[in-house]
Amino acid sequence: MDWKRFDRARRSIGPLELDLVESYAQGRISRRDFLRRGAVIGLSAPFLATILAACSSDEGGGDVSAAPTGGAVQQGGTLRVANLKPVTTDPVAMQDLPAYGVVAQCFEFLCTLGDDGDIAPGLAEEWSPNEDGSVWTFQLRQGVKWQDGSNFSSKDVAATMDRLVEAGQSGLTGVIEVGAVDASDPNVAVFNLTGPNGNLPYLVSVFNAQTPITPVDYETGTTLQDSPNGTGPWILDEYNGNTGATFSRNPDWWGDPPPLDKQEMQFFDDFGTMTTAMQGGSVDAIVQFVPIGGEALLNDPNFTTLDIEAATHQEVWMRTDTGQFKDARVRQALALTFDREAMVNTLFAGRAVVANDHVIAPFMPFFNDSVPQRAKDDEAARQLLSAAGFPDGLKAVLHAIDILEIPDLAALIQAQSKAAGFELELAVEPTDTFYGTQWCPPEPKDPPCSGAAELGIVNYGHRPVPDVYLNAAFATNGVWNSSQYSSADFDAAFKEFQASVGVEAQTAAAGTLETILNEDVPVGLPYFFNYLAGHSNNVTGVRVSALGQMFVEKAALTA
Amino acid sequence: MTRYIVRRVALSAVTLFLLVTIVFVIVNVLPDDPGRRIAGPFAPQETVDALNERLGANDPLLDQYGRLLKNAVTFDFGESFKFGQPVKEVLFPALARSAKLVVLGLVLTLPISIAAGIFAARRRNTLADRSVVTLGLASSSIPEFVSGVTLQFLIGVQLGWLPVLALAPSDAGFFAELEYLLLPALALVAVYFGYIARITRAGTISALDADYTRTAVMKGLTRRRVMTRHVMRNALQPTVAVIGTQIGYLFSGLIALELIFNYPGLGSLIVNAASDKDFPLLTAGVILVGIIYMLTTLTADLVIAWMNPRARLVGERV
Repeated sequence: MDWKRFDRARRSIGPLELDLVESYAQGRISRRDFLRRGAVIGLSAPFLATILAACSSDEGGGDVSAAPTGGAVQQGGTLRVANLKPVTTDPVAMQDLPAYGVVAQCFEFLCTLGDDGDIAPGLAEEWSPNEDGSVWTFQLRQGVKWQDGSNFSSKDVAATMDRLVEAGQSGLTGVIEVGAVDASDPNVAVFNLTGPNGNLPYLVSVFNAQTPITPVDYETGTTLQDSPNGTGPWILDEYNGNTGATFSRNPDWWGDPPPLDKQEMQFFDDFGTMTTAMQGGSVDAIVQFVPIGGEALLNDPNFTTLDIEAATHQEVWMRTDTGQFKDARVRQALALTFDREAMVNTLFAGRAVVANDHVIAPFMPFFNDSVPQRAKDDEAARQLLSAAGFPDGLKAVLHAIDILEIPDLAALIQAQSKAAGFELELAVEPTDTFYGTQWCPPEPKDPPCSGAAELGIVNYGHRPVPDVYLNAAFATNGVWNSSQYSSADFDAAFKEFQASVGVEAQTAAAGTLETILNEDVPVGLPYFFNYLAGHSNNVTGVRVSALGQMFVEKAALTA
Repeated sequence: MTRYIVRRVALSAVTLFLLVTIVFVIVNVLPDDPGRRIAGPFAPQETVDALNERLGANDPLLDQYGRLLKNAVTFDFGESFKFGQPVKEVLFPALARSAKLVVLGLVLTLPISIAAGIFAARRRNTLADRSVVTLGLASSSIPEFVSGVTLQFLIGVQLGWLPVLALAPSDAGFFAELEYLLLPALALVAVYFGYIARITRAGTISALDADYTRTAVMKGLTRRRVMTRHVMRNALQPTVAVIGTQIGYLFSGLIALELIFNYPGLGSLIVNAASDKDFPLLTAGVILVGIIYMLTTLTADLVIAWMNPRARLVGERV
């Protein structure tokens, strides 16, 4: 340890940053977590490097700024990308991963995807919190232009945030209110939060996919193709919701010019056809695929798999306010029937980790491992069911969305829960109808999602921090709260978690959240699975966010 | 003949009217809020109400029905809820794509299957006849999605001879488009070869056994003349009738094939419109398919009437 260097560095920072630096220096967090968290609270790469050097850590890990590229790259050319058909490309209302992937080509976020897979400066060059994390200041990138030639400014940021809060869709509810962003300086956006929040940069990043910055006069309900006026590296040339979209390089983009001339995004109805298209060489990159049916790609020597550890998961929601699952013992019983190891092995060939019916993934820096893992126990499940008034078992319809491995998961749950007395009828539905009829129908509107089915499985994309999951799916009146869960204890614990800005405080608060969700089981959550994407070996520089977004501004074809 | 055509066209118009009425009833049985569907789940209720007003969703059913009849005549169904574009702009490109696949499939299927049917009929009960019948039966009993996947895997993925997807890039030329469409078209050949060959064979056998054929032979006509002037004209009438109805099906029924080859044709568009409750697109799609059916069966009837003048007299007092 180079104490002199370390001391000099830590004297220049505030209490929030100091907490992180001390946590790392004392070995309470790993190098990886230190780098991740450092990026979140706006520590610069040179500062992080200084601390790492001072601490002389011998842990392995990636360079925070390195961008791996392939060998002899070609300038120009067209990249053909396979993506599923988006439902809607309205940046505010979109809810599906394919739409996130389309919109993110043209619209950008304050914090973008770094080469290390975490957040990095996007439309904001740097950011920093005040002492308690209740005010965050984002220094905006200068010289950025909208594709119509007008200048990007903090007014666009403020208007975007207002639209998002009004829509209540992006996990910002309770974090900021309308008018929270001070845009008096066109180059600075000051977020005045409703309370302290240590994870705000994630909430305005690629990992909160509904938060791309749109122009000040953008109207909610406008789709990308209606108004393709972003700041991003790609200009939308053509859009057909049935076939695909084509993009050309934005010559006025603020970043290094993309090596490719064009990007052709082809839309597919299912993963199987996408996988075949990749195998047959009809596309160069695939935004996502699944192990079941994707074995050929995983074993293809001409294919590069991007296998990303992620918090991507499926939630088996159970209505807590009405119906047969109202009693927590019934929900616990269903969760007790899950053979999670079998699910991980059967559905992902091991490319997943077992979860414990809460949304804090083991790789998150504040994951608290003190909550005992729920294991399959049919006898205990039967007893709980009986105690809850179902001595002869229970019949229910399990609604499932026909995407990824979910139909297979539904079948496994049906089979695994039978011995405990659950007789589940499966109802698998396509994406377009499922979201709007079973998961969160638009009506009744108040509270949101109160028209949801009694029992169902819905997919959640990756987020490096759980704030969006917690806010939208579990907080009282959350916009994606299909289980209609409402718990004063949870709401208080969530507030405490949001307000915790130090790693230790966050870990303690996370433990409370994990315990509450594990006991109340508004959702059964059997696993977190890796996000799989990839490209042919003659492509380099492709990055994915594990949230349906494939970034190809650094991508190139190789000889 | 003119009278026959007028009668058939009038009948088609009545059928179209009935179809529009049935579609209207079906669409109105399904509850929905078109304004909400277009504006999205997070749009303010005032926006949704204004949209519903503009779309006429709050109008009395009779007014809506009258509007649909008018739309059917002008073929202007407004905007697709899902795509936010005029229905015509979504529907017609899909129709064009389906047409390309259907035409290529028929161009490949018809000559070989008709030739095989006639060939088998003229060698009735020989090994050649039995081979054609057995091969046809075997190929047509395999669903097109099975033959499609098999061809895609073997020829597209393993051998790499043809593209595995059917939709060519927008700047592709005529021959490149053909190359892209060849695999799904071959899957169609596999299904329809046996079907058409067997019908042609049966018709040819029946014509070969007919009295008029015997008379033609007895009066000393050459074999070629007997076949072209007497046998074929009669033998192919069932084949033409079947092709007429099958073309209508091919335009809208190849959903599995369209899915396998990621080919956005009319069939998958209509199915998706139904599941999305995109009523303008669904209504227009169903009516368009009805029109295609009517046109193809009408054409088939006219061809049959041309081939066999007696057909024109059906339904007339003689």
